[in-house]
Amino acid sequence: MSKRRSLTEAQCVSLAQKLLRERLCHQKLPDRPLALDSQYKHLLELLRRTAVHGESNSVLIVGPRGSGKTMLLGCVLRELMSLKEAQKNVLLVELNGLLQTDDKIALKEITRQLHLENVVGDKVFGSFAENLAFLLEALKKGDKSSSRPVVFVLDEFDLFAHHKNQTLLYNLLDVSQSAQTPVAVLGLTCRLDVLELLEKRVKSRFSHRQIHLFSSLSFAQYVDAVRSQLSLPPDFPDPKFSDAWNHSVTKLCEEKSVEEILRRHFNSSKDFRSLHSLLFLSVSRVSVSHSTLHEADLLEASRLISADSKAIILHGLSILELCLIIAMKHLNDTYDGEPFNFQMVHNEFKKFIQRKSHSIHKFEKPVVMKAFEHLLQLELVRPVDSGVCKVQREYQLMRLMLEHGQVMEALQRYPQCPTDVKQWALSAFA
Amino acid sequence: MSRYITRLRMRRTYKWNGRPVGEDRKLKRKYYESMSISVEGKTEDATVSSGQYILIEGDDDDNPFVAQLHKLYTDDSGKKKTAVVQWFVRMCEVPQNKRKLLGRDPHPQEIFFYQDRSCDNEVDGETILGAVQTAPATPRTPRHATPSIPSRSAPARKPGNVLEEARARLHVSSVPESLPCREQEFQDIYNFVESKVIDGTGGCMYISGVPGTGKTATVHEVVRSLQQSAEQDEIPHFHFIEINGMKMTDPHQAYVQILQKLTDQKATPDHAAALLEKRFSAPAPKKETTVLLVDELDLLWTRKQNVMYNLFDWPTRRNARLVVLTIANTMDLPERIMINRVASRLGLTRMSFQPYTFKQLQQIITSRLNRVKAFEEDALQLVSRKVAALSGDARRCLDICRRATEICEHSGSQKNGSGLVGMSHVMEALDEMFSSSYIAAIRCASVQEQLFLRAVIAEFRRLGLEEATFQQVFVQHQALCRVEGLQPVSVSEGLAVCQRLGSCRLLLLEGSRLDLFLRIRLNVSQDDVLYALKAD
Repeated sequence: MSKRRSLTEAQCVSLAQKLLRERLCHQKLPDRPLALDSQYKHLLELLRRTAVHGESNSVLIVGPRGSGKTMLLGCVLRELMSLKEAQKNVLLVELNGLLQTDDKIALKEITRQLHLENVVGDKVFGSFAENLAFLLEALKKGDKSSSRPVVFVLDEFDLFAHHKNQTLLYNLLDVSQSAQTPVAVLGLTCRLDVLELLEKRVKSRFSHRQIHLFSSLSFAQYVDAVRSQLSLPPDFPDPKFSDAWNHSVTKLCEEKSVEEILRRHFNSSKDFRSLHSLLFLSVSRVSVSHSTLHEADLLEASRLISADSKAIILHGLSILELCLIIAMKHLNDTYDGEPFNFQMVHNEFKKFIQRKSHSIHKFEKPVVMKAFEHLLQLELVRPVDSGVCKVQREYQLMRLMLEHGQVMEALQRYPQCPTDVKQWALSAFA
Repeated sequence: MSRYITRLRMRRTYKWNGRPVGEDRKLKRKYYESMSISVEGKTEDATVSSGQYILIEGDDDDNPFVAQLHKLYTDDSGKKKTAVVQWFVRMCEVPQNKRKLLGRDPHPQEIFFYQDRSCDNEVDGETILGAVQTAPATPRTPRHATPSIPSRSAPARKPGNVLEEARARLHVSSVPESLPCREQEFQDIYNFVESKVIDGTGGCMYISGVPGTGKTATVHEVVRSLQQSAEQDEIPHFHFIEINGMKMTDPHQAYVQILQKLTDQKATPDHAAALLEKRFSAPAPKKETTVLLVDELDLLWTRKQNVMYNLFDWPTRRNARLVVLTIANTMDLPERIMINRVASRLGLTRMSFQPYTFKQLQQIITSRLNRVKAFEEDALQLVSRKVAALSGDARRCLDICRRATEICEHSGSQKNGSGLVGMSHVMEALDEMFSSSYIAAIRCASVQEQLFLRAVIAEFRRLGLEEATFQQVFVQHQALCRVEGLQPVSVSEGLAVCQRLGSCRLLLLEGSRLDLFLRIRLNVSQDDVLYALKAD
């Protein structure tokens, strides 16, 4: 009786993965941002007043990286554009401090997005001065009740404050405080001290409205968020599959070991971006043969994320290079972190070869030098003064960029490490 | 090979419509609004009027010329009819080598504005064939672009209730006709400018004051009332122009803008400077006084200071009749950044706008609200006192009051309390807009981030310095993790935590290339960090 095609298991799995991938990687806007209700309402009210009443405003959205500033703005704009009055009237200009690195480029972009009359196709005519005069003239001619309001979104707002004289910021904020075309200037930034970057004239014209996105999630809410991020939506084509999936996800989140993993992650950072990278790594292990999420997936994902990057590099070194690292570690221990040079490291290595080693070949000095240079290239060792070296290569002072603990831990997992090397590393006296 | 006209020529008769609309006795001309053309064999007359686009006999019957009719006139006898037109050309009339300048493919029926001194703009009226419809093509060529923002589909909604009305009046842009608390300054500037205008001499005045004290608004008010006086012929007419240092991309653009606003000419900066020099030096007995307002003067500074020198030198010329009013923020700007000869030309006519006191701020808000009762008395007092104590900036005060009305409206919709904005709303607005958010940020940071901050303070205490390397702090961090019973973090994770704190500027970091040896400083005071961490 049901006309719906029942999907095969494989199709279900791939569809589920696609849905979750869109949510976790492609940054699809959620229906409603999580735990950001009051900020959402504040921003929506502000923009609604600009769109409907023609009231000019300026606001800064401040929050650490990954806390959902762009996502919040996207949701608010989506709801704003669904209002009939705003849909036909509001003009939107989106700028990014990383893309528009200069006021000249920013002006061309504004003119292009507003489709002002000095744009033909995609090309903006006129010099910087002409473009500025043209835009200011256009905005000046408008008025509160009859012009279409313009919403300016400035992503990475703090970078705009580094432009020369802060011309663009001054002019946009000046328009927002004059009886001209109604504008709403929205800045998004992660710096808490952004107001100190503004010049006094620009700061006076800014209305000092700030919306803070500090995450005040408790751990229980975090686990809840994980569960909802991993669950399939109710409109999934195969309800039996989605019910089974959601059930398994709920059971997973109640397990002790998974809670440990999530707690470790939560302790490190509360924002959703890092959570999404963890969840993405675990979801990508799901396949037809492995069609539900297991705790092993989460464990593996957590291991990948929290692995120490340098320790992994160490696993790829040759035995000789590893011995040099250990020699440097001993030097650090003996001389309390003072910089060393290649000659000192070589002496230390020779001591090991003569006294303790049985398996390491007695390498010539140029070969050892080559190994040392490889470590320099990997930046595991860096010169103290990175300027012009007036000293011979062997006598240039260097520093090891590894911590004691990192070396020891890498040694534990080094594949087929000779025992005498290990013992040498563990010994207190070289 | 000569062309043979194979079509029968239609005879056309021309007749004026209505009475003449103007007359020029010197040139003995009578101007008409429109003309009707009756063609033999056709029953209806065609009418052409000024402003319409018309077809004029061309070289060839199939391709008449297109033009826009500007004026129609006849001489004394009434026999000779002449039309003044603006020519347009079709793409086919443009020489081949110039067609590429357009940069795109033209519409087959597109016509272009044609301006050439060799071409006569006056033609015999009897060559007009008839009117033609034109429609603007999209996109238009940029040379004739007009700056404008499109209009709304329906007008903006008017304020509905008392709070909305108050909000509209408290917006910084609704500047009142006459600024309260600036009567003395208004009078001084008015007297200065009025005396210069009446005497027909020039002069300079320097106005200074911190942002938000009403300098530009007062000058505009002075000019407005002087213009009213001039309209009633109490004082001679004058021309007012305004430039702003921040609205220019380069100080030399000042010349371009002044020239454009004075004479509507466009020129390069050097040429504009030369033209202005000539204009202000040449004697012209009937010249109007020019009042020039230069806002944000300090941005017109160049190394040789020639822009400022010229701006202050021109008023000293006898025939210039230029009054320059300059506005900047610092009282000692002339002494600090100007060389002697420029500062001496600026002169000693200076005026300093003091920041508003709390009584003045209160008066400003009350006069803006006029009769609209939206605030409680003590709420207003609180705002004025707070802002006056900090900066005396009227914009700040108005913005806080507006935010307070929003908070009141939002809470009012939930509780149905009294409609007035009270102390609690105002305090919430002050809290929002004056607060420093570092403490809240620290409180909402993750466990490892808070631990890292503790480690930073512990290391500073140990070293007795305000700076430490990441390695040293990391050792402390590991120790703290052991004490708290948390799993120890790897160096990569520790660096990630450190970078996150650095990106919000809770910590000040060196470049991350320095790895373990990057130096860390605190951007917040140690006491604030400890207070924020203690409150848990």
